[in-house]
Amino acid sequence: MHNLTKVAALMGLALGVTATAAAQNNASINATAVVQQPIAVSATRTLDFQNILPGVAKVIGVGAATSGEFSVTGQASTAANMSFVLPVNLVNGGNNLPIGTWTGYWNTANNATAGGTAFTPSVALTGMTFSGTGTAFVFVGATVTPTVAQAAGTYTGTVQMTVTY
Amino acid sequence: MRSSRRVAFSGRTSPLRIRLCILALLALMGLPSLAVAQLTVKADRDLRFQVVIQGVAKYVPPNDPVYSGEFEFTAAIGNQVQLGFTLPNNLAGPAGATMPIAFGNNDAIAQGTGPTSVPVVFNPKGVSVFRLVTSNRILVFIGGTVTPAANQRTGAYTAPIVFTVTIL
Repeated sequence: MHNLTKVAALMGLALGVTATAAAQNNASINATAVVQQPIAVSATRTLDFQNILPGVAKVIGVGAATSGEFSVTGQASTAANMSFVLPVNLVNGGNNLPIGTWTGYWNTANNATAGGTAFTPSVALTGMTFSGTGTAFVFVGATVTPTVAQAAGTYTGTVQMTVTY
Repeated sequence: MRSSRRVAFSGRTSPLRIRLCILALLALMGLPSLAVAQLTVKADRDLRFQVVIQGVAKYVPPNDPVYSGEFEFTAAIGNQVQLGFTLPNNLAGPAGATMPIAFGNNDAIAQGTGPTSVPVVFNPKGVSVFRLVTSNRILVFIGGTVTPAANQRTGAYTAPIVFTVTIL
């Protein structure tokens, strides 16, 4: 009986431990974040069609000296997305000059003709990647289509580019 | 014969009884073991802030269907349970860098899985007590805010969040 008492006591202790463990449980997750440098976009060069003639469309390619250019800085070697808000007309007072057929080219180097990637600017996201030093360059071209009766004057519009991670 | 049988019987009586008692006690131990099975806690999803920009705080609400942290637990209907978190003050990053993380009073949600269950917002910084009424499986979501400094070291940061459920 003495042994039995000992066994019972041990079992009772075991029961007590088990009952305590039964009342509590836990699990763990992680909180995670990736810190990156902010993106900065600068308008480097205006897309300039210079002089145009009524009734004669004019194309400025991305490699032209007067193509539009943005320079971007961000987290080195990191992917990002570009999107654009583009005008459908350049405006001079109440006169409109249609603009369209947009072209784009992004590069990690300041070069609009080699080593980069052609794309079509639009409101849809277009992928890009910053260079190893965190830079990127984006070139924009387009076509204006003046009518034969296009009023003379200076026409302007705004090309807006947004870059996000 | 009687004597020898009696001797044989009495000689083996004590160990046999002990064995029977042990078996009986082991059987009894099975009852609280069932209680263990009635409380399970599981980690379902990390709380993910994704990309955070230097100098720009970022908040992930607890009802974010993709990036909020998520746990679940099961217990018996009728159980009164106490929910609590062990929360970090900072996320740990590269080269010993740290980034503050904070939790608001409404940054946790308990959501039963029963057809009539309604989400309950609670404070993850304290302990909260609930009684399971309509469902025995509860989803628990947690949100939070990270506040990187303007010169926060870039890179990946992480810290554990521990969720504990106690049946009262």
